Amino acid sequence: MAKILVVDDEEHIRLLYKQELTEEGYEVTLATNGKECLEIIDAENPDLIILDIRMPVMDGIETLGRIINKRKDIPVILNTAYSSYKDDFMTWAAEAYVVKSYDLSELKIKIQEIISRKKGSP
Amino acid sequence: MKIIAMILAGGKGERLYPLTRDRAKPAVPFGAIYRIIDFSLSNCVNSGIRRIYVLTQYKSLSLNRHIQLGWNILPNKLGEFINVISAQQRIDEHWYRGTADAVFQNIYTLEQERPDLVLILAGDHVYKMDYRKLIQFHLEKKADLTIPVIEMEKGSSKEFGVVEADADCRIIGFTEKPVKPKTVLGKPESILASMGIYVFNTQPMVRRLIEDAKTDSQHDFGMNIVPSMIRSDRVFAFPFEEGSRGKPYWKDVGTIDAYFAANMDLLAPEPAFDLFDRGWPIYTHEESHPPVKIILSDKEVGKSDGIALNSIISGGCEIRGGRVENSLLSPAVRVEMDAKVNNSILLNEVKVSRGAQIRHAIIDKGVEISEGMKIGFNLKEDAKKFTVTESGFVVIPRWIRT
Repeated sequence: MAKILVVDDEEHIRLLYKQELTEEGYEVTLATNGKECLEIIDAENPDLIILDIRMPVMDGIETLGRIINKRKDIPVILNTAYSSYKDDFMTWAAEAYVVKSYDLSELKIKIQEIISRKKGSP
Repeated sequence: MKIIAMILAGGKGERLYPLTRDRAKPAVPFGAIYRIIDFSLSNCVNSGIRRIYVLTQYKSLSLNRHIQLGWNILPNKLGEFINVISAQQRIDEHWYRGTADAVFQNIYTLEQERPDLVLILAGDHVYKMDYRKLIQFHLEKKADLTIPVIEMEKGSSKEFGVVEADADCRIIGFTEKPVKPKTVLGKPESILASMGIYVFNTQPMVRRLIEDAKTDSQHDFGMNIVPSMIRSDRVFAFPFEEGSRGKPYWKDVGTIDAYFAANMDLLAPEPAFDLFDRGWPIYTHEESHPPVKIILSDKEVGKSDGIALNSIISGGCEIRGGRVENSLLSPAVRVEMDAKVNNSILLNEVKVSRGAQIRHAIIDKGVEISEGMKIGFNLKEDAKKFTVTESGFVVIPRWIRT
């Protein structure tokens, strides 16, 4: 079962994602900001990270840079309410950029794509 | 069109030891009054490229000081600047892992500037180039990346990135330091060597840098970024002779021997690398010094002519009855009675005391050669105290007492 780490400061988002993604058959683990994400990344060893951008303590863009240096093997989906970050160079380092919506179907499609691609590669 | 230059000035220059014992390679003195980085900086300023970042890391103190004192010349209010960025560990907590990593780690700087083109330069090359011609070529070819190249002998391929280009100058192959290089079309004894400088369209560069950061490569422009871009982007070779200011001359003074030879090149009556070209000034930091003084020594102690032949002598030098030949003297060097300096490079404030003799030597700042001492005559003896290169140059580092 693929494991997904959801990093978001808003509790209702974390709960919603956990419920919906668990129903899809993924194992879901949670972090409330970038710093927490980096602290648990090695222990949790997720297959994919869903990363919010605007968060207290450490934002998603800085976290993404650190994930690349620490664990190049883990793909990241940036998931934010804003489309304006798409121009930031560092966001180009993410596998995908999905604008937040209560309908999670776009996010779920991206997750599936990335996880099946990852399984396909050696 | 917004262009910024990033000068990579983090090289350790290990093969220039002991000149690089206390300073980064771009801060090594060259041509009596310059530091190596002055050439790239002057090229930028003379080419109208005046938004410049200098990326430093190891032993950057003397480089910082030099840029602060000598290069505080651009008006910030007009959007022009030379900013030194030390390795800030902004993205990750390590030194730069390669040339591409150095730029990737400064991606936030690029983001603030949002230039159309980024010119990546080396801080340790000696050459004069009008970057405007390079950029014009880049735009005409609608290139994503353009690499200046220089024709070299086939035998030197192991020192360079070797470029294979088609008739339109498009690069179709690139190999770092090959043993069996691809030679130039119609010239089986020549190769096209990459000069290790690049002009990129910003967006494709950033995308390739990010892709590269996510792999376990050497994070090097020559080894990783260029080969991957040849497959996916428009990459062109710009012949150096089309952009060179004056006769084409380009040196990466990577070793003591190369450093010595390149300095000596300046002594030719009509050198390929001409410091006297007033249309292309080379700027540097210089303290005020009195004029050069060449005199007879004191008559009371014995008469000897002060004389300097075929040499470059900087301000503040005093040749008091000594003889200087085929040498470069940095500012405030003093050569005393009956002393002889031949085929040597003396850096600032070296003192050659009475009767001392120096040949085939590089003497770093502030060293005092004591009375009657001989350097370069008995290499076995010299090697006990100093660095002696394979080809027989003696290098005396700073702070040494002789």
